[in-house]
Amino acid sequence: MSARGYDHAAVHYGGDQELLAVAVPFLEGGLAAGEPTLVSMEPERAELVRDALPPSARVEYLSTSDLYARPAAAIKSYRELLAGFVAGGAAGIRIFGEIPSAAIDTSWDWWARYESAVNHAYGEFPLRSMCAYDTRTTPRHVLDDVARTHPFVATAGGGHHTNTGYVDPLSFLTDPRPMTRLPIEGTAPRAELADPRPSDARRAVLATAPVDLPAAEVDDLVLAVSEIVDNALRHGRPPVRVRIWAGAGQMVVSVHDAGPGPADPFAGLLPADRVVGGRGLWIAHQICSEVTLHRDETGFTARLAAGRPW
Amino acid sequence: MPTEQERGPRSAARDHVCRGYRRRGGFVAHAQEFLAEGLAAGERVLYVAPGDETALAGQLRADERCDEGLARGAVQVASVDATYATGDVVDPAGQVERYAAATSEALAAGFTGLRVAADATSLVRTAAQVDAFARYENLVDHYMAAHPMSAMCGYDVGELGGEVVAELACMHPRAVEGGTPFHLHGHARDGSAAALDGDLDLDSRRLWPLALERAGLRSEGSTIVIDATGLAFADHRSLVALATYAEQHAVTVVLRTRLATPARLVELLDLTSVRVERAA
Repeated sequence: MSARGYDHAAVHYGGDQELLAVAVPFLEGGLAAGEPTLVSMEPERAELVRDALPPSARVEYLSTSDLYARPAAAIKSYRELLAGFVAGGAAGIRIFGEIPSAAIDTSWDWWARYESAVNHAYGEFPLRSMCAYDTRTTPRHVLDDVARTHPFVATAGGGHHTNTGYVDPLSFLTDPRPMTRLPIEGTAPRAELADPRPSDARRAVLATAPVDLPAAEVDDLVLAVSEIVDNALRHGRPPVRVRIWAGAGQMVVSVHDAGPGPADPFAGLLPADRVVGGRGLWIAHQICSEVTLHRDETGFTARLAAGRPW
Repeated sequence: MPTEQERGPRSAARDHVCRGYRRRGGFVAHAQEFLAEGLAAGERVLYVAPGDETALAGQLRADERCDEGLARGAVQVASVDATYATGDVVDPAGQVERYAAATSEALAAGFTGLRVAADATSLVRTAAQVDAFARYENLVDHYMAAHPMSAMCGYDVGELGGEVVAELACMHPRAVEGGTPFHLHGHARDGSAAALDGDLDLDSRRLWPLALERAGLRSEGSTIVIDATGLAFADHRSLVALATYAEQHAVTVVLRTRLATPARLVELLDLTSVRVERAA
């Protein structure tokens, strides 16, 4: 592979030795080439990798809990990081990483969109990255998305193969995705609003917020709901329907309109200057604990969460 | 401690309320009440409205407190048609100077201040008149914030339309039936260039940039400070509009607010011309 452009590979492993058999040669290759070489894995596996490398290896370890709190934030952080390396003269950059298992288990939808969108979002950087998935614990539907979002598959001892199942992000992100109902959506909504102004929706969120949800998270949800209702009123099609669920330590708000949703497949994950409504959706992705987008024959739904609705 | 000038003689003198009305009779009743409060507080009061002065005095006589004020010379009336030619565009600074002089005269005559109830509908019938009058409303609000003058400004919503009245209402610290989601005005608490209250969102999208331009925000060095302790919400487009204003005027705008989300938005959107400070 050329060092130019983004080389995004999936790694499937069933045990520690399999993981190391891919990770170690990849990282050592980066170090030998004098490239910035990074690991962003959960602490247990980061230690495993660290122990397998020579003590002198100048690998940078990133904290996954900071980096992978939200996909849109991860893209923003990584893009800043990568731009910094390039500005510093790097001709190649290597990252060996994983999406934390908690994120896979609770909010895979937006991480699937992340895995697809980064093929575009990091396209301008001389980056080789590998995303490791444990085949013993990763659900089947997640592995299916992994197979459609990584242009390459990396195997032990430096193997690097084209992935024939890869789907271009423009297709992946516009294909209908299932909307898995959160448990609280099985209960009656605390409020339902028809064609509200943004201020009506904000008041309703504040009025139904549970006392044990921190005020800062409520404020963020209020902002996100206001931005999304604004989008629905200006760019969607009426009727706009807002439903609000609230329970212990969690709130979920769905905003539905009868339109087709944003035309930009990257809306939400990348800040769009040119695309109408792109920034509101991107802000929601930066401050909510989860954002799910869904299209069906009735229209477009954005579901916003605060707290832990899983 | 506020200075004597900042505090004014009493808090009621800080009233500057916009009242949109649909029935002229309704406005007259509110004007009577507003002026009667001023009389009770020892102020000279002035009623400005369309019609001849005899008719205007007659409108006030229905209220016995105003009637008594007329009898003892504490009430003045002025015909808006007699004072302004049709189509006149107000000169904001000149108009404020006239009210400043009238306030000084009232004080010199032994009154505690000047209180005005004015139906300004006939002065804002063209776009140019609205623009100038909105600037005047803002300028006179700064004057009222620091001097013993107060005013109720009436606008006929049916005749002018809600959007025009909102353009004027948002330059007042308070509005009744004004249809404005926010207020950008002169009653700042801390020497800021302006105070900002209410909500900035979809419903203020058109109004907010207009208000910023009309508020004549005073910069110190290259910084404009806005006392936004009364701000209840700001969405990202409103902050982008504020940043655009700041860039066009080559200033940094400091927003003093109790809200947490504006600082997050400014950082996320990299709006370098806006600085958010947490208000106490």
